[in-house]
Amino acid sequence: MKLDGTFTFGGPQESVWALLQDPAVLARSLPGVEKLDASGPDQYRGVMKVSVGPVTAAKFDVAVALTDKVEPSHFVMQVDAKGAVGHTKGTAVIDLAPVESGTEMRYSSTVQVGGTIAAVGQRMLESVGRTMMKQALESLDRELKARLANGRSAT
Amino acid sequence: MKVAVTVNGVAYERDIEARLLLSDFLRGDLGLTGTHVGCEHGVCGACTILFDGEPARSCIMFAVQADGHQIQTVEGLASPDGALSPLQQAFHEKHALQCGFCTPGMLTTLTAFLKNVPAPTELQIREALSANLCRCTGYQHIVEAVIVASRTPLP
Amino acid sequence: MPAEHRYLSARVTRNEDARLLTGRARFVDDVQVPGMLHAAFVRSDYAHARIVSIDTSAARARAGVVAVYAAADLGEYLTPAPLLVPPPPIPDVVFHARTHLPLARDKVRYVGEPLAIVIAESRYIAEDAVRDVLVDLDPLDPVVDLEAAMADGAPRVHEDLESNAAAKVVQTKGNYEAARQQADLIVRRRFLYDRGASAAIENRAIVAQWDTGAEELTIWDTTQAPIPIRNGMAARLGLLESQVRVVAPFVGGGFGPKIMMFYPEELVIPWVAIRLGRAVKWTEDRRENFYATTQERGQVHEAEMALTREGRILGVRDHFLFDTGAYDPYGLTIPINTQCTLLGPYDIANYDSRFTAVFTNKPIVTPVRGAGRQHGVFVSERLLDLAAKELGIDRVEIRRRNLLGPDRFPHNHGIMFQDSAPLVYDSGNYLPTLERAVEMIGYEQLRGEQARMRAEGRHVGVGVVCYVEGTGIGPYEGARVTVEPSGVVRVATGVGTQGQGHYTVFAQIVAEVLGVDVTNVKVVTGDTREFQWGTGTFASRGAAVAGSACHAAALSVRGKILKLASQLLSVPEDGLELKDARVEVNGSPERGLTLAELAGRANPLRGAVRPGSEPGLESTAYFGPDRGSTASGVHAVMVEVDPETAMVDIKRYVVVHDCGTMINPLLVEGQIHGGVAHGIGNAFYEQLVYDDQGQLLNASLMDYLLPTATDVPPIETDHRETPSPFNPVGLKGVGEAGCIPSGAAFAQAVEDAIGNPAFEILQIPMSPDLLFDLMTEARRG
Repeated sequence: MKLDGTFTFGGPQESVWALLQDPAVLARSLPGVEKLDASGPDQYRGVMKVSVGPVTAAKFDVAVALTDKVEPSHFVMQVDAKGAVGHTKGTAVIDLAPVESGTEMRYSSTVQVGGTIAAVGQRMLESVGRTMMKQALESLDRELKARLANGRSAT
Repeated sequence: MKVAVTVNGVAYERDIEARLLLSDFLRGDLGLTGTHVGCEHGVCGACTILFDGEPARSCIMFAVQADGHQIQTVEGLASPDGALSPLQQAFHEKHALQCGFCTPGMLTTLTAFLKNVPAPTELQIREALSANLCRCTGYQHIVEAVIVASRTPLP
Repeated sequence: MPAEHRYLSARVTRNEDARLLTGRARFVDDVQVPGMLHAAFVRSDYAHARIVSIDTSAARARAGVVAVYAAADLGEYLTPAPLLVPPPPIPDVVFHARTHLPLARDKVRYVGEPLAIVIAESRYIAEDAVRDVLVDLDPLDPVVDLEAAMADGAPRVHEDLESNAAAKVVQTKGNYEAARQQADLIVRRRFLYDRGASAAIENRAIVAQWDTGAEELTIWDTTQAPIPIRNGMAARLGLLESQVRVVAPFVGGGFGPKIMMFYPEELVIPWVAIRLGRAVKWTEDRRENFYATTQERGQVHEAEMALTREGRILGVRDHFLFDTGAYDPYGLTIPINTQCTLLGPYDIANYDSRFTAVFTNKPIVTPVRGAGRQHGVFVSERLLDLAAKELGIDRVEIRRRNLLGPDRFPHNHGIMFQDSAPLVYDSGNYLPTLERAVEMIGYEQLRGEQARMRAEGRHVGVGVVCYVEGTGIGPYEGARVTVEPSGVVRVATGVGTQGQGHYTVFAQIVAEVLGVDVTNVKVVTGDTREFQWGTGTFASRGAAVAGSACHAAALSVRGKILKLASQLLSVPEDGLELKDARVEVNGSPERGLTLAELAGRANPLRGAVRPGSEPGLESTAYFGPDRGSTASGVHAVMVEVDPETAMVDIKRYVVVHDCGTMINPLLVEGQIHGGVAHGIGNAFYEQLVYDDQGQLLNASLMDYLLPTATDVPPIETDHRETPSPFNPVGLKGVGEAGCIPSGAAFAQAVEDAIGNPAFEILQIPMSPDLLFDLMTEARRG
């Protein structure tokens, strides 16, 4: 499954970059994440619960790695999720660039799904993926604006 | 949870798990193995029973949903003295069954159908059958049996 | 056979119906044993992976869980399943046997491969506990596509082999290269033919019970072959064959995969039952069925046909890849069927057929109704159609010019068939069958009207295709016929039944010979306690082989009846007649004895008997044909295609077939109808969709589409009979006939409907998407 798109954050590029590197922020913003802790430099481990079609509240052990970092404009995120009802492996290439209203993020991701979710959830995968991505990005944008309003810029 | 249900005219009371499927309740707890399970996701129709006279798929219902209701299964279609119903007799004469696994669901579905549409056309019959899968007969003899049964005067 | 046939070719209604119609027929999942436990399997989510660890501790700790076993727990019992079908002795055949383990060890090779089994007080608890088992798999790159699997450097499914080639087979006759030089036309194409799941409405199930006191194992199994299961399991478990009873009660459809042996579940469940001393039941659910039950899949053919300008076939060359899946316990049955069935009813003197069977990281492939014949028929029928177009010859006419004439039998093709005997067509008469189908579908009439209809915007087309199929193969079956003292005749045989009407058809054969009423013949089958020798129901052989054994046993009992009656009545045997369950004297019917009386007299409790005589009126007979018999037929289909949406409406479907002598035409029709429905599914709806990681994306009946009552038209049938010389009744098989040429028939019909020579259908299934794209391309081109 491929998931590509753009999203405009309402804030400066450095702030967006800082936000995306913070596991606590990601844990709060990504839908379904129950916890996400740093397990090494640019590496995180955690637990997620996701529903795809008839497969509800499926629990996954998640490992995230950030690589190919070119601060503050480019990085690659690898996600490896394993659970009883299936597994997912995804790679997302993230690019940030300044635009008039803030920062434009371009994302290009491929996701491979296996197990029960793949077998019975096929038709829902793309729409669930898009919904989760939208929820995550909007949540991150809210977080960004809250930080800026509190006077924090690059923490 | 307690469930009180009448099946083929006999009253039953049992204490069961909430998640027990109606199909498993009929087959396992009540020993009425005539109702068959083919897919457990409501597509093949082999599990069809009559729920207060209307066809329903017992594999996607919980047994507790039947509390206080009347159920008729394939075991209840013949007369008490063992005489086959006109539909069952027509199935026999027209060779409308081969392995017989889908047959209980066919019979319950069609029994209700013939009550509602006593003189159906071939097209109406095929549409009424279109949600019951058969892998053996190619449906032709089943359609012929329904036509014969619809023309049989009721006793 | 007596002159007037009461039961041969008789439309008799079935003996077995009453129980099936009233919900009183026992299927395996209906079996309940006191104290029975329930099993669920942990299965691989990856198509190709190393097994790092399997942690069952959490599962074992769950309330209601009795045991959890993985490969390591099976000890010495963990040995590979047997090679069920060794390759026939074809010269220079290359074959690598790689069979599966009861539970995977070291590596998994397809999504769904079983890793562990959970035994619990209920299936619900067992499924909960499946999720408790922590499996650590280290994914490897899988091979899914056939050509990618054969590319250099492709990941190897079996690492001890040099490549993913499971087998290489070459069969040739004549000299194709030389024939090719003489050709006026060579038609060459690449064909893709896909199949699918057998999708019987009943999924598989097993119940095993070990009686500790009697030291007897009973296995109820949805198998098409109870006797080989009994023999194999007894050997594996270190038991006498007589200590194991396998019962295949009513089985809800087989279609092939229920004769794959031995499934991992068949190997493990009885072992668990013995170990725990409690009965264990496993019922497959539908999603599991898509991985755990075998299926048929695709072949890729590069084929060409060399012809004269009059359309005479000089030769065919066909090189193909066959997807065997992760293991190959069923050998080469399917692709050899493809090789043989491609020749069809035609006089083809030169043939070069080669295939490579390819291991892939997908479920095991074994025969599904048709067993590879579909692929062969598609290739030859399409090549003929394309040749006809290029030569400007009518496509029915080109077939007429190539049919083997009735004087050419028996016809030895010189290549080997799946039963290890040379491919010999025993009898047939193809031209009248073709003409009858052409007449029934109104072929000439449609050709006259087609232009006018197209002008009105209606795209109607007809497809007429021919096939020959090998049926009724050995090795053998047996039957025992007994006249009981009540006068009821009991017939015991080994072939399980999955809806083919064995309780009726075998009764008809015996009733005919013994002069009794068919409802007074009780058939007992599918139970190894009742009959111990035989192979099973497959390859359209039940009637021809087991039926012939019933016939032979009945004739022998008839002999005993006449001999005893002759002694008792003091009338020579040729002065006696069997009629209405009695033996009566010709011309003086009031003088006679009932079969019941004779049965009693044949088994005295006191007194002396003649030395050398046998008690009772009972005989056992075996029948093993010299080779299989060849059935044949022609399918003709009329379709209308919507030129904008590419939806195909099937207007008429005609089948004219020859299955030799028919025992029960009513049941034969049923077999054909069912086969045609399956063929429609194969042509348009059914496809197992795997992604490039070997994940099956449509593992449910919502997404794997089976034809419904509104998708199958009324089917018109007619019969021809060229009896087989290989069995006394002249029987040939018909179980698979309905679905073999469907893909070819619809492809021809849809092409005819569209009428654009640039529009070619070279693959099956034909989804509306595919047809739409082809139509769009053709309009551009």
